[in-house]
Amino acid sequence: MRHIVHPLWRHRLMPLLVVLQVALACAIACNVLFLLQQRLVPLLTPDGVAEPNQLIVAWQLVSRGQPWPASRLLEAEAALHAVPGVSAVSVAGSLPMETSAQMNGDVIGDGTGRRANTAVYIGDHLTEALGLRLLAGRDFSASERDVHYKSVGLDDSGPTIITRALAERLFPGGDALGKVIRIGDDANAGRRTVIGVVEHLMRNKFSQDNRDDIDYSMLFPGIPGMWPMPVFAVRTDGAEVAGVRKAVQATLQRELGAELVEGIDPNYQTYAEMREQMLARFKASVWLLAGVSVVVLVVTLAGIMGLTSYWVQQRTRQIGVRRALGARRSHILRELQLENLLLVGLGVLLGLCLAYAINLWLMRHYELTRLPWTYLPLGALVLLSLGQLAVLGPALRAAAVPPVVATRAA
Amino acid sequence: MFGYYLRLALRRCRQNLPMLSLLVLTMAIGVAACMAALTIATTLSGEPLPGISAHLYVASMDAHEPGDRDNERQAVPDSYLRLSDAKALVDTGRARQQAALAQSLQQVGNPDGRQSDQVMGLMAYGPLPDMLGVALRHGRSWMPAEQSSRAPVVLIDADLAQKLFGTDDAVGRNVAMGKHVYRVIGVIAPWSPRMQFLDVSRNLGSVLGQNEQFFVPVEAALDGGVGPLTSGECSKDAAVVSFQSAEVGQCRWLEVWLALDGTAAVADYQRFLFGYAQAQHDAGRFAHPPQARLYDASGWMTANHVVPDDVRLNVMLAGAFLLLCMINVAGLLAARFLRRQADVAIRRALGASRRQVFAQHLIETGLIGLIGGLIALPLTWCGLWIVRQQPVSYAVAADFSGMVFAGLLLLSLAVGLVVGILPAWRICRLPPALQIKQA
Repeated sequence: MRHIVHPLWRHRLMPLLVVLQVALACAIACNVLFLLQQRLVPLLTPDGVAEPNQLIVAWQLVSRGQPWPASRLLEAEAALHAVPGVSAVSVAGSLPMETSAQMNGDVIGDGTGRRANTAVYIGDHLTEALGLRLLAGRDFSASERDVHYKSVGLDDSGPTIITRALAERLFPGGDALGKVIRIGDDANAGRRTVIGVVEHLMRNKFSQDNRDDIDYSMLFPGIPGMWPMPVFAVRTDGAEVAGVRKAVQATLQRELGAELVEGIDPNYQTYAEMREQMLARFKASVWLLAGVSVVVLVVTLAGIMGLTSYWVQQRTRQIGVRRALGARRSHILRELQLENLLLVGLGVLLGLCLAYAINLWLMRHYELTRLPWTYLPLGALVLLSLGQLAVLGPALRAAAVPPVVATRAA
Repeated sequence: MFGYYLRLALRRCRQNLPMLSLLVLTMAIGVAACMAALTIATTLSGEPLPGISAHLYVASMDAHEPGDRDNERQAVPDSYLRLSDAKALVDTGRARQQAALAQSLQQVGNPDGRQSDQVMGLMAYGPLPDMLGVALRHGRSWMPAEQSSRAPVVLIDADLAQKLFGTDDAVGRNVAMGKHVYRVIGVIAPWSPRMQFLDVSRNLGSVLGQNEQFFVPVEAALDGGVGPLTSGECSKDAAVVSFQSAEVGQCRWLEVWLALDGTAAVADYQRFLFGYAQAQHDAGRFAHPPQARLYDASGWMTANHVVPDDVRLNVMLAGAFLLLCMINVAGLLAARFLRRQADVAIRRALGASRRQVFAQHLIETGLIGLIGGLIALPLTWCGLWIVRQQPVSYAVAADFSGMVFAGLLLLSLAVGLVVGILPAWRICRLPPALQIKQA
């Protein structure tokens, strides 16, 4: 070991630059990959909506002045039902991917006391219209759907259907059916009894880090009261989606068009289009961050390669001498690889500390979350293999130095 | 000497082209990433209204009343007040100037209805156009008497005047807005702040300033059914939020902005504001301790994340990346220089001083930096183009300009020189005799 460390110490500049470079690259890569993972969450998580191309969503219907009363929305819903090719319709307060109208809040599992921030979707036929997969329990009954809320509905008690992820969060290890969820800390907060559990339903509030709570959603039956931005989810039978969409637009314009806010135009899209549009910025930043990571790693690779080949070239004569004294090619190769491992390892160690420090600083000043420790060994592994890759070429060249070099004047 | 060293540097650059291209490319990528991020960040920083917003402050307090819908205590209070509180603060007149405001989106047309346009504007109580330094092309702003008598008057901007009447000078004409007709008493030059800092929650997601095309006294506006874009938070029996409604008597929807000069005036007003809010709380009107406080314009923008965090995070990421590239280039340069130890030793033996050797190598790295800058130019342009294609609110800020070009060349020259210091210092310190002997 001494014969590796000693020359590194005597010629400090080159090894120092390698260590610095690796440390910085490691710190950047860990943090960027962490951001990248967070950005991937909404793209990779299933949203629970079946056949997104056959679901038409009418959203950004904003009422001018007072919100439409539930009776008006039900009339519009009935009119949509009459459109040929429509198999299910639901009015709702908001939907997955509809971020301009959101209902979110902290809820507490009664008995367990566990809390979660969840999205609430209030609508009369949402399970059917969205095509959610019920895993346990039942859908809302006709009488439950018929509820009339004086206010939005968040403070009222009644039944609820929740996602499996939320069920496991609030009632770990147990059966959530029949349990009660309190909607907020208030003494007279609404109490919702779980009657069904669905496989997935994505929330519509995206924040910096949705890794844990992306699938926390609750469904309430009925139509939100005093709600100025209702949404219509219209499930088609699959044929002539474009035609149905036109009919949906015409129907809603006829029913509600006169009371729409001027200057904000409603959207009539398939759910697939809406999803594409809403996730575009996540896709864009995934590409950006992936590009940054690749460039960082390539630059580091090139840097280590350049420095090592110079370092090897400098020592051609010494290598020749060692070969003449009986060192095998594999010895030279191993030594250079070990040397690189030492330097990169030191860099990685520094880099991991730096990555953690940067993360702490970012957490304090921006709304970022803690870097999971799993990133540290991962980042170390990536950079150590990168270092080995970079040293391979120069090391092979060094191993090929013939012993006769030792006899020549340099 | 400079010219000679430059010629030498050029000659050397031609000698080892693969190495040179690696150096230059690494530097160019780092500089381009940094420049693209900096361009966006500088466009989105600084004063939203140069020369004016530095003196502007907004009042914030927890003005929730016991009957409000959402009655939780605010950790950090917002700036929205009921009309009565806004009027009380403005009428007290403790600041140099003060006005309350709210953004509105309206269909404004000429009375016969032949021409109309959907425009953003501000509803105001107090001398708002004057306080914001809005330039008048024709006519005047409203008088206190007009404001208190609820006279239906309005200021429109020159673009709207052109569109509705075919002329800039629309003073004296009437426009239809809401249910009433308003008399145009002034025409302003088209006005928008650099960034949106007024009434940030009604900005519809824009970072860059809204073009405010009309200014109307608030009570005359409400009389004619002209309300704010959204109602803000209202009492329990009203909708969660309503749009374009003039029924906002039970809502908190106006912001009060103040023009204050000097820290003494700010501290004084802060005390006054605190006293006002506390008195409301003590009287049982405000449900929670009001935590009244003044924010300056830029502090308010920061507190409300008007400029997305991404912008500054990207600058830091790009900065870290440039640093990585610089360390990388410094290493490669050191290797490049040290390969020529023998040449340098001979020059030193022939009488060149350390300083001359240092200068020679620094000129070489400066040259490499400049070449890197030239290559970074298309890369930066390309990077900004990519940002403009992205679905982000600040995409329009990614604009390539002459300033960017100048900044780019300066940055790359500086980077080239900084990066060269270590290798050049290393090589000029080598003792000449030893090197010649080894060679």
